[in-house]
Amino acid sequence: MKNGLVSLKALGLAAALALTVAGPALAGKKDDTLHVVWRVSVPNLDPQHNNLREGVVIGQLIWDTLVYKNPDTGAFEPLLADSWNWIDNTTVEFKLKHGVKFHNGDDFSADDVVYTLNYVANPASKIAVPGNGSWIDKAEKIDDFTVRVKLKKPFPAAMEYFAVPLLIYPAKYHAKVGAEGMGKAPVGTGPYKAVTVDGVKRYLLERNENGVPNSPKGRAKIGKVEIRTVTDSAAEMVELLAGRADWIWKFNSDQFDKLDKMPRIAASRDESMRIDFLLLDAIAPGDNPLAKQQVRQAINYAIDREKFVKYLVQGNARVIDAPCYPGQFGCDTSAAVHYGYDPAKAKALLAEAGYPNGFTTQMVGFRSAQWTAAIQNDLAAVGIKAQVSMVEGAVLVEKTKKGEAPVAHWDWGSLSVNDVSAVLPNFFGDEGYDRSQDKEVKALLDKAGTSVDQAERRTLYAQAIKLITERAYSVPLHTFTINYAYNRELDFKAYPDELPRFYQYGWK
Amino acid sequence: MSKPATPAVATTAPESRPAPFRRLLKRIVGNSGTLVGGGLLLLIVLAALLGPVFYPQDPFAQDVANRIAEPFWNGGPAIHPLGTDTLGRDYLARLLYGGRISLLIGVLAVSMAAAIGVTLGLVAGYFGGRVDLVVRFLITTRLAMPVVLVALSVVATVGNSLTIVILVLGFLIWDRFAVVARTTAMQVRGIDYVKAARAVGSSHARIIFKEILPNISNGLIVVATVELANAILLEAALSFLGLGVQPPLPSWGLMIAEAKDYLFFSPWLITLPGIALVLLVLAINLLGDGVRDITAPSGTR
Repeated sequence: MKNGLVSLKALGLAAALALTVAGPALAGKKDDTLHVVWRVSVPNLDPQHNNLREGVVIGQLIWDTLVYKNPDTGAFEPLLADSWNWIDNTTVEFKLKHGVKFHNGDDFSADDVVYTLNYVANPASKIAVPGNGSWIDKAEKIDDFTVRVKLKKPFPAAMEYFAVPLLIYPAKYHAKVGAEGMGKAPVGTGPYKAVTVDGVKRYLLERNENGVPNSPKGRAKIGKVEIRTVTDSAAEMVELLAGRADWIWKFNSDQFDKLDKMPRIAASRDESMRIDFLLLDAIAPGDNPLAKQQVRQAINYAIDREKFVKYLVQGNARVIDAPCYPGQFGCDTSAAVHYGYDPAKAKALLAEAGYPNGFTTQMVGFRSAQWTAAIQNDLAAVGIKAQVSMVEGAVLVEKTKKGEAPVAHWDWGSLSVNDVSAVLPNFFGDEGYDRSQDKEVKALLDKAGTSVDQAERRTLYAQAIKLITERAYSVPLHTFTINYAYNRELDFKAYPDELPRFYQYGWK
Repeated sequence: MSKPATPAVATTAPESRPAPFRRLLKRIVGNSGTLVGGGLLLLIVLAALLGPVFYPQDPFAQDVANRIAEPFWNGGPAIHPLGTDTLGRDYLARLLYGGRISLLIGVLAVSMAAAIGVTLGLVAGYFGGRVDLVVRFLITTRLAMPVVLVALSVVATVGNSLTIVILVLGFLIWDRFAVVARTTAMQVRGIDYVKAARAVGSSHARIIFKEILPNISNGLIVVATVELANAILLEAALSFLGLGVQPPLPSWGLMIAEAKDYLFFSPWLITLPGIALVLLVLAINLLGDGVRDITAPSGTR
C-alpha cells in the first residue's frame, strides 16, 4: 500500500471493522455460547444417514462411540466400553460402562449396542456409508453389559470404525422414531444434547450435565454451541468479521494472513488427512485416450504440483506421490512412482500414444474452480484441452460412477480412518468409484484388507501402490490444509483427522 | 410522422436534404443522455475490440507465483496496471477480453431474438386472424416462462458453452420484439401507402419487409437496446452462477463470481468487473432512452 492514497483495501477493512462495531456483540464469552457458522447443510443429523464432514462433527458432539481414539497419542481409550478383548481374528467382546444415561433418560445397556451395530450392518437400513458396517456379521448380547461382535472376515481397521463412525443409538428411541425422527430430535449420550434443530439452518446444543462417567471426551467446557448454516463463503466471512460467529473453517487460503492480523480474530491451519487427486477414467468405452497408460502418465508429468501447493493450497500441505495420506497405515510413499513436473516428457508420451497434437476431454471438479482451472491450464500447455464443469460433490460422485467424468477432480478424507483401507479400495479396489478395474490391484487390496499380519499388509499395500502409480490410474496431488479462524478468546486446537472437538475447547 | 412542414423547410426547399439531418444532429446534441450513453458505449466497444490488440498481456496466461497482484493505486507492479486475478492472469487484459464476450453475446443473442420476434410480430400484425392467434399464443407461452429459471435448467441439462448461452438467450428474449412489431404493424397495415403497395400487386413479403418494417423500425431499435442490456446482464448472471460461459474464457459475470471470496481483503477484484458491467448496461440504456426521445414524433426532448 502506498502512502497518500486511500486504498480500496483499507476501505474494505474499514467497512469490516465498522460491521464489527455495528453488529450485535452476541458472540463470545458473554453468553457462554460458541457460535459456529459453516456453509454445509446436513440433510439428516442421524449420523448414519449423512456422509458429510459437518455431520461427522455434530455426530461426535451428540453421540458417543464404544472407544475413543486419542488424537494426540493414537491410542484407543475406553468410552462407552470399559474394555474390549479380541477372542479371535473375527470376534471382539466389549464390556460396557455402567451408569450411563441417554439424553432422554433411557439407561444405556448392551441392547443399545447390539441394536446399533446390527442396524448399521443390515443393508436394508440403507445407511449413507455402507462401508461403516458392511464388515460386521452380527452383534450379540452376552449379558446386560457384555456384547460380542462377529466380523464377516478379519478386518484390521475395525477399531478405527468403532472409534469414529459407529456412534451408539438409544435402541428403544431409534426403533420408535427411525432415522427421520432421529435427525429431527437427536438423542445420544454425548457431551452436548440437541435443544433446537431448525431444519438445516440452525442447531442449538446444550451441555449434557449427565455425561458418560470418566469419558475421555470430558465434560463440555462451553455451555452452549450454536451452529448456523449460511449459503456462501462471503456470508460466512461477514458473520466472522461482524462478531456473530466465533468459529469458521475451510475458508479460502488467501484470506488466512489477513484474518490472523485482525484484532479479535485468530487463524490457524493444520494439515489434514484429506488428499486431492485426479481420478482418470481408464475403462470408459469408445475412443478413450485415457485408456492408454502413456496418456495417463503424461497427465502425471504435465501438472506442476509443487507450484500448485506452494501458491494455491498454501499452509503446510504437501505434494503426494501415492494416492493416500502419507501418515496412514499402509501408505508407503517410497513404493510410489514419482512423477516430477516435466511437460516435455508429457508431450513425448502423448506423441508415443498417438496424440502428438493432444486431445480434448472433460474435467469435472467440485471443490475449487480456481484449483481446477490451474490444472486445466497445465494440461492445455501439453496439448490436452480439458473442458471444465464445476458441480456439487454429490454430482461428481454420480458422474464418476457413471463414467461421465473422464478426468475427475476428487478429494477424499478417508472418513478420518488412519488406514489406507479407507481410501485405496474405494478408488482402485472396486468399492465404489473404481475407474481402473485392474484385477491385479484389486487382488492385492483384497488380500491386504483381510490379513491380520500387519507386516504382510504393509507389503501388500506397497505392491498395490506401486502398480497403481506405475499404471497411473490417478494423479495424486497433495494433502489438504484446513483453515480455521476463530474468536481470539477461544482456546482452540486443530487435529489432523479434521474433527474439531467443540466439547474440549473453553474460553481463555 | 406527417407533421406539417415547418416554414424553415418550406423556404429552403431546394436544399431540403441536409435539413432533416441537421435537425437530427441538433436533437442528438440536445439530448445529453444520448451523447453520454453513445460516447460511453463507443468507448467500451472500441476498448473491447481494439484493447486486446494493443494491450500486450495475454488474458489466459496464468502465473500463480504472481497471484492477486495489487492494482497500480495500491502500488502494484507496472506490468499489471489493474493487478492480477487469483490465478495470476492480468486483470486489465481479462476485463478487455471480457468486454468482447459480453458484447458478442449481447449482439448475437439480440440479433437472434430480433429475427424471431420481429418476424413473428410482423406476420401476426399484418395478417391478423388465425395467424395472430397462433403468434399470440406463442408470445403468452414465452411470457409464462421465467427466463432465468429456464436458462438455468437448459444450460444445466445441455452443458455450458458460449454457443449454448447465445442460443438460450436468443430463444428467450424475443417476446418484446414480437409484441412491439405486432402492435405497430397492426397500426400501419391500414395506412394508405400499404394499401397502395397492395394495389400495385406487391407480394405479402415485399409489403411486410419493404413497406411496413422500415416504418416501424424506430420502436424496434429501442427494444433492441433494452434487450441488449438485458442479454448482457443475463449472461453475467448465468456466468456468476457457473452456468454461463466456460472458464477460462473471461466473462464479467464469471469474474465477479471468482472474486466473491475476496470481497473483504482484495475488493478491487470484484469492484472492477462490477463497474465495467454497470457502465456498459448504463451506456446502452441511456442510448436507448435517447433514441426513443429523438425518434419520438413529438420529439424535441
